[in-house]
Amino acid sequence: MRRSWLPVGLLWLGYTVLLIALTKYVAILPAQWAEEAQVVDEAFILLMYLGSPVMALVLAVMTWGIIGWRSDGADREDGPNQQNNRVLVTTWLVITSALAIGVLINPGFVGLAEIRGEPSSDYVIGIQAAQFFWEITYPNGETALDELVVPAEKRVRYDVSSVDVLHSFWIPAFRVKIDAVPGVPTQVYTTATAEGTSDDDVNLRVQCAELCGAGHAAMAMPVRVVSDAEFNEYIESLGGSE
Amino acid sequence: MKYLIRAIVLGIVGYIVGVWLTLAIRGGSPTDEVAVVFGFILALIGWLAGIGGIEAFGRQWIGKTPEVSTARGWQRYFQFTVDHKVIGIQYGVTLLGVLLIGGFSAMIMRIELASPGMSIVDLEEFNKLVSMHGILMVAVAVAGIIGAFGNYIIPIQIGAADMAFPRLNALSYWLVPPVAIGLLSAPLLGSFSAGWTAYAPLSVGGDSGQILFNMAIITFGLSSILGGLNIIVTVITMRAPGMTWGRLPIFTWAGFATALLAFTVTQFFAAALVLITMDRVAGTDFFGPDVGTGILYEHIFWFYSHPAVYIMVLPGFGVILEIATAFSRKPLFAYKAVVGSLLTIVGLSVVVWAHHMFTSGMADFLQAPFMILTEAISIPTGVIFLSIIGTLWQGKLWFRTPLVIAFGWLFNFLIGGITGIFLADVATDIFLHDTYFVVAHFHYTIVGGSIFALLAAFFYWFPKITGRMYNDKLGIIFAVSVTVLFNTTFLPLFWVGINGMNRRVGDYPQAYESANKFASVSALLLGSTFLLFVGNIAWSAVAGPKAGSNPWNARTLEWQVSSPPSHHNFRSQPVIVGPPYDYGVPYVVFPDAEPAPEPDESGKEVLV
Amino acid sequence: MTTTKPPSTEYHQDMSFQPRANLIGLWLFIVSETFLFGAFLAARYYSTGTAKPEELNQNLALMLTIVLLASSLSAYMAETSIRFNHRRNFVIYISGTIIMGLIFLGGVGIELKEAIHLYPPGTPYGSSYFMLIGLHAFHVVTGLIALGFVLFLGLKGHYGSDDYWGAEGVIKYWHFVDLAWVIIYPTLYLF
Ligand code: HEA
Ligand code: HEA
Ligand code: CUA
Ligand SMILES: [Cu+2]
Repeated sequence: MRRSWLPVGLLWLGYTVLLIALTKYVAILPAQWAEEAQVVDEAFILLMYLGSPVMALVLAVMTWGIIGWRSDGADREDGPNQQNNRVLVTTWLVITSALAIGVLINPGFVGLAEIRGEPSSDYVIGIQAAQFFWEITYPNGETALDELVVPAEKRVRYDVSSVDVLHSFWIPAFRVKIDAVPGVPTQVYTTATAEGTSDDDVNLRVQCAELCGAGHAAMAMPVRVVSDAEFNEYIESLGGSE
Repeated sequence: MKYLIRAIVLGIVGYIVGVWLTLAIRGGSPTDEVAVVFGFILALIGWLAGIGGIEAFGRQWIGKTPEVSTARGWQRYFQFTVDHKVIGIQYGVTLLGVLLIGGFSAMIMRIELASPGMSIVDLEEFNKLVSMHGILMVAVAVAGIIGAFGNYIIPIQIGAADMAFPRLNALSYWLVPPVAIGLLSAPLLGSFSAGWTAYAPLSVGGDSGQILFNMAIITFGLSSILGGLNIIVTVITMRAPGMTWGRLPIFTWAGFATALLAFTVTQFFAAALVLITMDRVAGTDFFGPDVGTGILYEHIFWFYSHPAVYIMVLPGFGVILEIATAFSRKPLFAYKAVVGSLLTIVGLSVVVWAHHMFTSGMADFLQAPFMILTEAISIPTGVIFLSIIGTLWQGKLWFRTPLVIAFGWLFNFLIGGITGIFLADVATDIFLHDTYFVVAHFHYTIVGGSIFALLAAFFYWFPKITGRMYNDKLGIIFAVSVTVLFNTTFLPLFWVGINGMNRRVGDYPQAYESANKFASVSALLLGSTFLLFVGNIAWSAVAGPKAGSNPWNARTLEWQVSSPPSHHNFRSQPVIVGPPYDYGVPYVVFPDAEPAPEPDESGKEVLV
Repeated sequence: MTTTKPPSTEYHQDMSFQPRANLIGLWLFIVSETFLFGAFLAARYYSTGTAKPEELNQNLALMLTIVLLASSLSAYMAETSIRFNHRRNFVIYISGTIIMGLIFLGGVGIELKEAIHLYPPGTPYGSSYFMLIGLHAFHVVTGLIALGFVLFLGLKGHYGSDDYWGAEGVIKYWHFVDLAWVIIYPTLYLF
């Protein structure tokens, strides 16, 4: 009996450490360009940590199954008749429930609260989706089609709508996404943190994330994060050029 | 063969009559969607009548005794036969074919995705490929294990001679070929390109192939509902004396839970598609901007399609648990807790659907409850893992092909399940929704959980069904290479998704090229491993040794009868006197397995 | 584990489970149909809330409801008759059910004709209205066809006090169709 607990326990420990180390030292997440991205990334990393011991446990049992419990079938002897172990089942239930509730509270509710934030904003930008382009309406009423320009360090609200089918407004670098639903206005908030263009990072782009027809893949446009002053300059210039 | 030909002829005649009638009444062209709808319905009726419905049902309606052929030769696979074992094999072979076609379309997709830009198909064709791949595969995953092995094994495991409604069972099967034909002929009408989810309003516009998709899937739903009903009634009413609920083998329990689910939620997919069909052909407007909007569709659709993922995986749990006990020579650990979890999953799975809709723009207050319920479902699923671990614990693990695949399953489904938690969390899902992270998640769960279990079931019950062994070494090589290549195909896709690539795109930014290329090469290798699979079957057919009735020395009832089982499975009424998995109990004595069946003479049998 | 009785030459499972299986099967089928209707009812409330249509022909609908209820009663009488082997009454009651069913269908036809101008299928209310009425009418039609076969068999001398499962099944189904209307009617006309 005791013979199996020890090796499996050690393997479990080893795998857990390994997985946590991997999470910690391998940068799996792309660069963050917004405060919302930080929330999402924290949640993601937390889930990786919490998932590690679960993953490790099963890996440990599998490994020891191959090494320690293997039997070559010549003697088709039966294993021990362990049918149940109330204590173990209860413990398992308690631990997994605790884990589930844990993930639920943080990052679940905490993340939900943070990502929703308070409904205040410095600017409101209208985003209208259509097959297969985005029409942007800036706070001063000017519109643009080719590029989304966002002020850094400002909280922006996007009012998203659609004229035909479902689309989804997604900026990977900001990690936020909301569907554009015909007939139902939707909203999303972002606060960009640093200036940059889509040449710096492919993820600084608006990408349609809901299948909307033949042009779905190409329904993308670059995002440029600029300073507040530049932003105001830019939207004024839109009026002039028309 | 006679019946099959008659079915095809009547099917075609039905189609022509349907189209012709529509044209006669309201004019228009034969490719109008209304005409196609009526054509499809009459074709379906013609097909069913032709394959044997006239004899099996029609005769009864006019007061004659129904007749069902019980021919014994290979011909019985091509007609309306009521033997559940024949039906199981029919399901298995049909769905294997569909799996290959679906896999083939995946190969084309992966070739296209190997590099950015369009190389062999254009964007719209790519969407069509994805949709076709998705829906074919979903059909395989929904009906694969339960249709093939559920039909074949469940009646034997409970000690019954057949299903409760054998003719209905045959009907459920014979509804499936028209589904496949309908879906595969959709390209004639321009195919469908709205994904397997067919979100409205996109699916309300678009090419007419969508209408065939709708009709085919509604038919498929009917087949699932009838099949589910049959299994429920069979398990309730036909258990052998002594086969109490507490002694049901776990695969039967899993099948029963699946049937419960299939039979209560499938209507909703059908309903959603009926609404789309109506919008397309009858001028209603359920998904217009001022009415229901697409969100209505999403609710109805996911009310089915989330439980559907459990319809896919619950029988898989059954298979893997069954294999775990048989190959570690130990009783199933925590049997009662597992049964409880299966039923809890059935209950919970119908109240989590909106986790697919966190970014859909549905009301904000719905987010938290759906997050709670979704995360709650990982607890009963965790109990399944506990049971597997507990069963393997200190067992005498016998690494034959089924167990090796079960190990692959354990690894894959764990990754799939844990990444499910990432998606269940609103904060992370807002980022990950509709990226390749989701694609990787559901391939790990569906392929890793359902298709792997299907393969495991195949290798576990193959000797029972065919009476011959396969080459175990080759089987293990296949199992290991499928597991490894599956992981090399889909692990990079998690990375791609996290780094900002969305799904259902034929073209993508340069940045994702290397990972995609790697995945594509792996996918092609993964596809080629199926040659090993086919090779193994061929080897078994040519040189496979006789399996004997119980090659794994397992304890459930199906291993106590001859391989393959005789016509009514048992020679006499079996009586059950103990639990299903009494491994390790000293002095348990087994009755000798039954001798091989004598061939029955072919002929018609009158049903009661 | 298993022990077996001495082998007999030809094994057939004892068929005594069949009546119970039939009954459970029928009930499950009805439950399953209920879910189907439920889906459409949910769609109706989702897309139009509790909007109440004013101009529909309330009187006609009420009449139809009564006719359908009466047909169900008649079907019930038919079932009772055959249980006591009164073939003549059985045939009469079944015919009554069928005739009332046909009247109902005709009435629904008139109803639709009127409604199509008030609520064309392209409007929010019209969509739900036509969907639900159509779905129900489809069930009435299948029910009538099944009743037709029952009548035919009854006339040919089938069924008896010990064997009327076929008729009973169809009649239970007809009750369900009736019940569905009892829910659809207030959904469309009253609330
Ligand atoms: C067989 C199929 C299958 C299965 C079993 C699952 C299982 C789960 N799925 Fe998955 N899923 C799909 C198939 C499946 N899924 C498909 C096809 C889609 C995409 C559809 C589309 O859009 O096309 C999808 C999409 C999908 C989404 C939507 C993503 C999006 O589009 O934004 C979400 C979100 O919550 C989700 C969550 C989950 C969860 C929480 C589970 C859980 O049931 C997993 C539970 C299992 C475990 C957690 C592991 C074992 C547990 C333990 C070892 C105990 C300890 C662990 C904890 C307490 C955490 N899935
Ligand atoms: C049972 C379910 C199932 C299965 C088994 C698979 C199997 C595979 N799937 Fe699929 N997939 C889905 C269900 C499934 N998929 C669903 C539901 C979607 C979503 C659709 C949508 O968005 O609407 C999807 C979408 C999907 C995508 C995303 C497309 C997109 O969003 O743009 C990709 C991309 O890589 C993919 C790849 C694969 C691959 C490489 C396999 C491989 O595992 C396949 C391996 C099997 C074979 C290859 C078959 C056997 C071999 C042969 C036939 C021999 C010939 C082959 C050669 C040329 C070598 N799938
Ligand atoms: Cu717009 Cu996809
Ligand atoms: Cu789901």
